[in-house]
Amino acid sequence: MSLDSSRSANSSGGQKSKRSFNNSTSSNPSNYSNGNNNKKAKPSQKTLGAASWGANSLSPSRSSFRNAPFSDFGSYMMEKNRKLHDQFDAEASTSSHSGSDSGKPIFHGISIFVDGFTIPSSQDLRGYMLKHGGRFENYFSRRRVTHIICSNLPDSKLKNLRSFSGGLPVVKPLWILDSVVANKLLSWVPYQLDQLANNQPRLSAFFAPKSSSVSKDVKPEGSSFKGGTSTEAYFSDLGESSEHSRQISRETDNLVNRNSNASLVTEPTSSCGRPFEVTMEKPNNIDADDERSVRNELQTSPYQPSALATSNFVENHDMTGSPSSTVSGLSNHRHSTIEDPNFVENYFKNSRLHFIGTWRNRYHKRFSSLSNGFNSRSSNIKASAQKTAIVHVDMDCFFVSVVIRDRPELKDKPVAVCHSDNPKGTAEISSANYPARDYGIRAGMFVRDAKARCPHLIIFPYNFVAYEEVADQFYNILHKHCNKVQAVSCDEAFLDFTGSVEDPQILASRIRKEVIETTRCTASAGIAGNMLMARLATRTAKPDGQFFIPPERVDDHLSQLPIKALPGIGHVLEEKLKKQNVWTCGQLSMISKESLQKDFGMKTGEMLWDYSRGVDDRSVGVIQVSKSICAEVNWGVRFKDVKDSQNFLSNLCKEVSLRLQGCGVQGRTFTLKIKKRRKDAEEPIKYMGCGDCENLSHSTTVPVATDDVEVLQRISKQLFGYFHLDVKEIRGIGLQVSRLESEGSLKQGLERNSLKSWLTSAAASTEEACNNSCTALVRSDTDCEGQGNEILGKICASSVGPSIEMDNNISNGEAFLNQVSEPPPLCHLDKEVLESLPPEIFSELNDIYSGKLIDLITKSKGKSENISSSSSNSHVQVEGAMKTGHMVLHSDPFLQHEIPVENRHIAMEDQAVLVSGAESNNVVLPASGIQKIDLMPLSLSQVDATVLQQLPVEVKADILQLLPAHRRQDLSSNALSGPSKETPLELLGTKTAEDHSVSKGCVSENNLWAGTPLQWVVKFKVSNCLILNVLAEMYYELGSTGTLSAILQRAISLPKHQLDANRDSWDEATYNLCDLLKQYIKRKIEFDIEEIYICFCLLRRFAMKSEVFLQVYTNVFPYLQASVGENYGGNLHMSLKN
Amino acid sequence: MDRRENQSSEGETARILVEFLEVAINSIVFLKGVYPSGAFERRRYMNMVVQRARHPQLRDYIHSTVSTLLPFIQKGLVERVAVIFFNTDCIPVERFVFKLIVNQSYGSKLEEADLEFSLRAFLIKLSVSESLTKALPRDCRWEIIAYFRSLPQASMSKDSELWTPTDTRQWQQPPILIPIKSMSSEPLCLQLYLEHPSSSEPKP
Repeated sequence: MSLDSSRSANSSGGQKSKRSFNNSTSSNPSNYSNGNNNKKAKPSQKTLGAASWGANSLSPSRSSFRNAPFSDFGSYMMEKNRKLHDQFDAEASTSSHSGSDSGKPIFHGISIFVDGFTIPSSQDLRGYMLKHGGRFENYFSRRRVTHIICSNLPDSKLKNLRSFSGGLPVVKPLWILDSVVANKLLSWVPYQLDQLANNQPRLSAFFAPKSSSVSKDVKPEGSSFKGGTSTEAYFSDLGESSEHSRQISRETDNLVNRNSNASLVTEPTSSCGRPFEVTMEKPNNIDADDERSVRNELQTSPYQPSALATSNFVENHDMTGSPSSTVSGLSNHRHSTIEDPNFVENYFKNSRLHFIGTWRNRYHKRFSSLSNGFNSRSSNIKASAQKTAIVHVDMDCFFVSVVIRDRPELKDKPVAVCHSDNPKGTAEISSANYPARDYGIRAGMFVRDAKARCPHLIIFPYNFVAYEEVADQFYNILHKHCNKVQAVSCDEAFLDFTGSVEDPQILASRIRKEVIETTRCTASAGIAGNMLMARLATRTAKPDGQFFIPPERVDDHLSQLPIKALPGIGHVLEEKLKKQNVWTCGQLSMISKESLQKDFGMKTGEMLWDYSRGVDDRSVGVIQVSKSICAEVNWGVRFKDVKDSQNFLSNLCKEVSLRLQGCGVQGRTFTLKIKKRRKDAEEPIKYMGCGDCENLSHSTTVPVATDDVEVLQRISKQLFGYFHLDVKEIRGIGLQVSRLESEGSLKQGLERNSLKSWLTSAAASTEEACNNSCTALVRSDTDCEGQGNEILGKICASSVGPSIEMDNNISNGEAFLNQVSEPPPLCHLDKEVLESLPPEIFSELNDIYSGKLIDLITKSKGKSENISSSSSNSHVQVEGAMKTGHMVLHSDPFLQHEIPVENRHIAMEDQAVLVSGAESNNVVLPASGIQKIDLMPLSLSQVDATVLQQLPVEVKADILQLLPAHRRQDLSSNALSGPSKETPLELLGTKTAEDHSVSKGCVSENNLWAGTPLQWVVKFKVSNCLILNVLAEMYYELGSTGTLSAILQRAISLPKHQLDANRDSWDEATYNLCDLLKQYIKRKIEFDIEEIYICFCLLRRFAMKSEVFLQVYTNVFPYLQASVGENYGGNLHMSLKN
Repeated sequence: MDRRENQSSEGETARILVEFLEVAINSIVFLKGVYPSGAFERRRYMNMVVQRARHPQLRDYIHSTVSTLLPFIQKGLVERVAVIFFNTDCIPVERFVFKLIVNQSYGSKLEEADLEFSLRAFLIKLSVSESLTKALPRDCRWEIIAYFRSLPQASMSKDSELWTPTDTRQWQQPPILIPIKSMSSEPLCLQLYLEHPSSSEPKP
């Protein structure tokens, strides 16, 4: 508001004069831009004023800087700032000596604010800024200031750094001096205030182990490193200058540097969108280029007025500029890890424990066939009771020796493996070689402690690729020599040589030799009678040796062994035992089993008792199936806000989901574990460690096992919500999934209710299965086939979906679910079935078919014929079950007891379909054909006529053809004679003779006028009698609602021959019609005598034309009159008068 | 609450029925031509042209007879309402019978429009059913008779006292029935038919 007015006021005075001033003194573009900066500063200053003072409702007259009485402090400050800027500009233009040679002054775009006492003084700094094109602010403004310069910060400001600095970098004055000396703008990052750098605010450059790590006093070394940091600095510059440019471009388009190279512009602009990516990629370019030119590039480019880019820059600037985020790391990859969207991923990528954990899975996949092989053989071996010989093989300091395997010169030097080799860091040594161990360096030690003990300790980062390679080699050798291998870890395994002819010691040494030759790493081996002793023997054997403990030496070996050496005894147990004055296994074996069990629990007690005697009855077996899968991060977890934590959580879920999928399992119970900083806990000694924490957890169980990321995310968010924690207090999060179910069992089970997952899994397996059974016939059109298969799989799966939901016939369902992957002949899917599918499934099918699909389906059907006969059987089952489900859903309840029959019947129908399909493809398989025939109903009684009736005509014809001739006769004769023999009406067509006798005589109870459609309609429709058929048709024509009178009315126009019946159907017709009328009278007489009356009037007319009707009329008329008399005490007037 | 609504719906049905009966009886009397046509006036009922007696006594007779039936209809006591024409010998010549079944336990709300729709069909049919009827002898009389399922309590109401138990002369043979119109819908089931003496009825 006041912005415009003040500008207009200014333009008359100050601004004009200033412009002329600039023009007269220098044509230097930098000055020009300085002038612009100045102008820009004004409006931004106003915005500031409006924001912070609130009383900035200045009238134009007031805002005029000359002799206006200052209405308030805000306007006063504004004017003061203005004046100062003007002074500064004036001085700058005179004192500026940069310029013509470089084009851009060093501090172009930099605007400093000096806080407190500095060396050199703030006035000196101001001088530097004047000289080199920077700006100097006397009063702090978040908008104008780009860097805060100070040597020391009071505690209060440190604690509340953000509010003090406004997220701007707080830099030591040395930066200015060094930049001047170097005659270029250095990255301010190394000059960050010490106090801040020490404040341990964020994650370190953990993810760039090779670059020198986080510390204030580490100077840039490598060129790539330099490039990285300077780009970062440029970014902040860029942010600033682009901000300027926006202002400029708003004010005067003329001032926009139109000369800036378009090609130069595009690159940074596009990179603005993803600032972090640029920091990673840029250095490579910079290495090659002249740094200065790069800087120029970056500085000029933002002059392109691009709002989008600018906003991104500002954002970027905020991020990098915030001291807390940048201090922590100097590497190119250094984004504050919490803000790193890939934190979780990176974390696990770099985690040794994760490597070991997931290695198992990898091993399992790789060697599963081998271990299966030995299982079958091992049973034979076991049968012959022989002396057991277990060998425990362990690579010597695996993580180190793999890394240095190609550097023999380091073999005798102390080497350790660790994330970071920062000598002052708190990274933990994960493995140290034997020379290093001689210095007392142990795994788990902080690097700084290790370095203190052994200053020349060489530290390597992990090399996971190499680990994997060596581990695979290692296991290849083991599996070559032994059938029975139990992998303990990637570098450690038990071998069972029981029953082996050769001496296990010789075998062990041969294995060791081979390991050394292949991997160039040493391994040690322990040989003993059981796993425990073998492991203990290895302990003695190390390094690079082997040791055999014969059974008679077990006690000797154990007697002096410290209890800690026993597997299963950790710190806690050790302490407890030591309290009881138990130090060695010998002492431990003195304690009775009972007292051990009393003190340590049944299991632990027994274990201790056994182990202390060298008893271990575990047998070398395969890797146990994991009971839970968990991903946990408790290092580097610092959340700024809830959004951070949610983001983190969803990444963690991704990781867990990946692990679940990797193991091929799904889980039902989800436990979210949270490490929460204790109230009084200090920042942990270990950098970014979790420190002293409370462990909290919540869990939930869902009914359906899942490995879906979205579900996991939803659940974990929910669980997270239960904690009601301040996210800032969280130091670690883990998500554990238990109650695992293997995916295979899920496929069979009914738990899966998600159609989508069904589709995908089924499609995948279909593809696999089909590819396996693929023949040359189909190979020619692989493309189509793949697609087709997938589609088939989908349809197949979706057809299974509803039948599961319907929950009928479960045993049947389970049977076919296993065979889901086999494609059914879809082109012959019954249309009615499709129609009655739930709408969403139907639409899905519809989409899938989309016309031309028929082709694909026909093609792949060739293949389906090739699949073994059992698989074609499965088609039928799937289809049959599907249809059964449909029938159950849509038919009257009384049909349900006939499900098996129906199912059978439909299976038969599909058989027909299959056969015809096969014929069309000329790939008839006799074997499957025979089996198909076998699926035909064994007797006619198994065919449900109602079902038959509902089938499409062609299918019906097919079935009838497939039926043996005599059966067909039965069927038709049954159908014909049915009515006259008073067939039970609900069966309507065929029924076994027994049923006949049972239900004879209950005719009157069958209500022809009940049901939808009315029973008589159903019955008449299947009748062989034309007139009955016609009447049933009339019923449908009238929209299934008409009264009998309406039907008759309609029928009255029929030609005479249709109304009559021949001799064959005479009885049937009269019987049925009489029955129909009688029931109608009975039904209507009380309430609707009119209807009856009309019907009989019409009937009388029929009777004049048709003998059948005449007979019917005469038959029923007495009944009618009796009924009327009964109800109305009279006779209907039935004279022929009208 | 529901109960009251039900009752009111029931009462409503009865009220409409009584109203309809009044109109229908008027129409029948007009149809039979017992009185000169000048004794009737054209009126509008249910959007239809109907005839109503102009003569106050006649009109009152029909009105009071039918309206006093209301409480009995509401109770479901009335089975049939007959308009009987008989000759001087008091032998019925023709009977128009309304057979009515009112569902007492009809729960849902009465759709008046539906009911009217059906009743209108009666009136239309009635107006064209002259051909079904017999020509009346001269000096014939007519009366309205209601057949009750049971005899009403004498003390039921003042109006009910107007109704007196009676016995009419019956035909010796079962009559001939000519249905005119039937409607069967909830909550009212109504049939109108003619009764004529059977041809074998001994002639007086």
